[in-house]
Amino acid sequence: MNNETQLRERCREALELSKRCGADEVEIFAQTSRAISADIEKHDLQTSSSQQETMIGIRAMVNHQVGFACTNVLDELVATCADAVKLANASPKDENNVLPAPVAFEPVADLYDPKAESFSVSDAVQQTIRMIETADSIDSRLILGGGTFAVNLQTRCIVNSRGIDLAESSSLFTYYALATAKDGEKVSNMAFHFDASHSVDGIDVVPVAARACQDALGSLGAVRGESFVGPIILSPSAVQAVLVSLFAFQLNAKNTLRGSSRWGKLLGETVAHSSLTVTDNGRMPGGVATKSFDREGMPHRELTLIDSGTTTALMHNAYTAVAMNIANTSHGSGSARSTPGIGPTNLSIQPGEASKDELIGDIKQGLLVNRFSGSSNPISGDFSGVAKAAYLIKDGKLDRPVSGTLIAGNVFEVLQNLSGISSETERVFTAILPFLRLEGVSVTAE
Amino acid sequence: MQELLERIAARSSGWIELRFQGRSTKQIAVRNGELEESSSKRIQGIGIRALVDGVFGFASTTDISEQGVLRTVEAAQGAARTSASAKKQRIKGLAEASLGVGTFPVATNDPLDAHPLEEKLALVMKIDERTRQRASSIVSSSASYAEIQDEKIIVTSDGARVHLFVSIPEFRVMAVAQKNGDQCFGNKSIGVSGGWSDLFNLQAPEEMADYAVQMAVEQLTAPHPPGGLATVVLDPGLVGVLSHEAIGHTVEADIVLGGAITADKMNREVASELITMVDSGASEHLPHATGTLAVDDEGVVTRKTVLIESGVLRSYLHNRETAAHFGVEPTGNARAFEYSDAPIIRMRNTYIEPGDTSVEDLIAGVDDGYYMCGLGFGGQADSNAEFMFGVREARRIQDGKVGELVRGATISGNAFDVLHSVDAVGSDFRWDLGAGTCGKSQAAKVDAGGPHLRCKATIGGRQ
Repeated sequence: MNNETQLRERCREALELSKRCGADEVEIFAQTSRAISADIEKHDLQTSSSQQETMIGIRAMVNHQVGFACTNVLDELVATCADAVKLANASPKDENNVLPAPVAFEPVADLYDPKAESFSVSDAVQQTIRMIETADSIDSRLILGGGTFAVNLQTRCIVNSRGIDLAESSSLFTYYALATAKDGEKVSNMAFHFDASHSVDGIDVVPVAARACQDALGSLGAVRGESFVGPIILSPSAVQAVLVSLFAFQLNAKNTLRGSSRWGKLLGETVAHSSLTVTDNGRMPGGVATKSFDREGMPHRELTLIDSGTTTALMHNAYTAVAMNIANTSHGSGSARSTPGIGPTNLSIQPGEASKDELIGDIKQGLLVNRFSGSSNPISGDFSGVAKAAYLIKDGKLDRPVSGTLIAGNVFEVLQNLSGISSETERVFTAILPFLRLEGVSVTAE
Repeated sequence: MQELLERIAARSSGWIELRFQGRSTKQIAVRNGELEESSSKRIQGIGIRALVDGVFGFASTTDISEQGVLRTVEAAQGAARTSASAKKQRIKGLAEASLGVGTFPVATNDPLDAHPLEEKLALVMKIDERTRQRASSIVSSSASYAEIQDEKIIVTSDGARVHLFVSIPEFRVMAVAQKNGDQCFGNKSIGVSGGWSDLFNLQAPEEMADYAVQMAVEQLTAPHPPGGLATVVLDPGLVGVLSHEAIGHTVEADIVLGGAITADKMNREVASELITMVDSGASEHLPHATGTLAVDDEGVVTRKTVLIESGVLRSYLHNRETAAHFGVEPTGNARAFEYSDAPIIRMRNTYIEPGDTSVEDLIAGVDDGYYMCGLGFGGQADSNAEFMFGVREARRIQDGKVGELVRGATISGNAFDVLHSVDAVGSDFRWDLGAGTCGKSQAAKVDAGGPHLRCKATIGGRQ
């Protein structure tokens, strides 16, 4: 592809420039993106926009000292390369700063849909109109306060001084709806749903708008709840808010090196109920974060992080793999705007056997939390926040929507007391998550 | 560049806004004595917004040649035309505004570029080291420095001719303490609009480190608070967070039109009569607030906007479009973070006006409650003003005296109910959100603060 060829040439040029400035190892990561988006505001199309940018990031090393500079001003590439080398020269030496060598792999298929090239601003506008029409067809009290349909055509390219020389193009359509229901003085919680597709044919905005609308309507007329310590069911969206950032933090090998991860020291030990299995797969078909290689050019693969409640692996990039003398798991994350970090790709909690309704069915008094608005501390595990679009569960049934209900607990403790995982899963941004039933959570009605 | 943009604006058909932005950022981060990041970023481009048939279209480019800008003008106008075929509510016009003309420099005597990278790196290394050595239970430390420097040229076809500069340095410290496998963290961060020496005007970096360590260590042995409604004294940090996050967003006119709780509350009582809340482009009361901005990204000269006057809602925050819709003057709140972002309604420096009660008297008046300082881990608020914030430092108040720390406290409720419950307002004032970045589809550097307040709010903890 023409884009890929041009970008590779710029990367190779930057590599040579950085070496001439004095770098002994260099990594050039570049991204070209062409984006279109159409936004909803106040239940109407607000604006549409287009943008195009090429960003080049230079990681230069001089005797294991590292510096990073990036720019979108391609005429200033010489100065940017010199900046990266200057920053490296001023930095302390760290023997673990080593760039990875090439590894052979099979590229992921179906990341790029050529039909996306002809997707226009007008097509994006039509998709947002479809979301608004979906809300109108459900209930006149609904307002889509916000929403977006966006297309991103991206080419990523990485070239390093150890021989990595890769490029890949992808297309990604992402869309979300934010719905509120208003009935006189009563205003519902804001409800949010999201989905994505790599192909034009995979786009389906109607279920996203419909589910946001149904959640907003459901929380209209919510009344005061009840205070108790007992079972709660977190929706996939609430699981994402309460658990995923903790998984990402605790299973990040850098945090083990930093001494701030509890699980990093418990590899091979039980950290959760035996029903919990967590995987990460950067090659997952159709996954939002799916790509052939990571931020450092290492091929993605599936990795089991927690197997039946036992930690089995940490996520590594090149730095932590060298520092801990272990295989790189290809979890180098980030863009051309920053140095590689470590992060999950398509993180999944494996589904259970019971349906969501069966999880609710044997709860005498409990709470269904559709959205969590609060904080979940990935270090201490303490979480505390407001249960949004929540329902009180009584005698195995959803009793009534409740508002102003706080939930609090500790993730490390509730994972040991996990009492159910649903067979249904949903995509929440890059994660694939089921409903989870947790025991012994503190529920406080205001 | 300004001359090129003025020439293109002058011959454009219909209203157009051209905004050049050149941004340089630097970031240094050290953790446990090891360099995590030493980076510089240089980006530039032009964002163009066109109004055609009552609809905005936006396009951005990194090609700043005349041909590149003209192509992007066409893309913006094309996007507007396409949208016009589908949009129900057309913009009837843009409100008349006081448009900026001239150069608007940063108020500082100590520019960031006068201090070399080596000096900044050495300070970050020193503070990280101090944090780690301060207590034996500290297992992880970090310190970081970041700076943003912007040059903007904003030209509109109806007369704005602005050359604007921004300079924002920030410093952060974090400590993790551990005991018997249990970990707690403490943090402190500062950010200002200004230069290098302005950054540490109020607190030296060494003091920031000592505070972060103290919070982490003390929390290891602190009990969780019981949940429930309590009398609380909020420090200027939490008053700022409440003002910005829980109230401020509900008075942004775009959110109001989207169905916020304030939609039918104009000129009605929404808070205790002790409360006057302001959002301003100037740094009132004390200098160097991070949201300080002479002109917004529509080229409108910013104003001091009184949102709540003695408990009564008096104004929303506007851009030129919403000001025309409501028939009021624009308040200068249209902001864009990068050249590739279209301006949207954002806050600047949001605060509550000081009152006449000393902080000592505020606390002395509490028999049983909490003294709550600063935003801790996490926080969120909805357009119905329901909020939940993690608290950085929460201490019991008993018989008018501040006592033991409690761990993992949160504060929540409906922000207007909380402001109704205010029975005393401190005579002090501080900006405290300078290192914060507000997110609303794009980032914005904002500040917030105020005096101490005494009120009632729900404390979250664990039973």
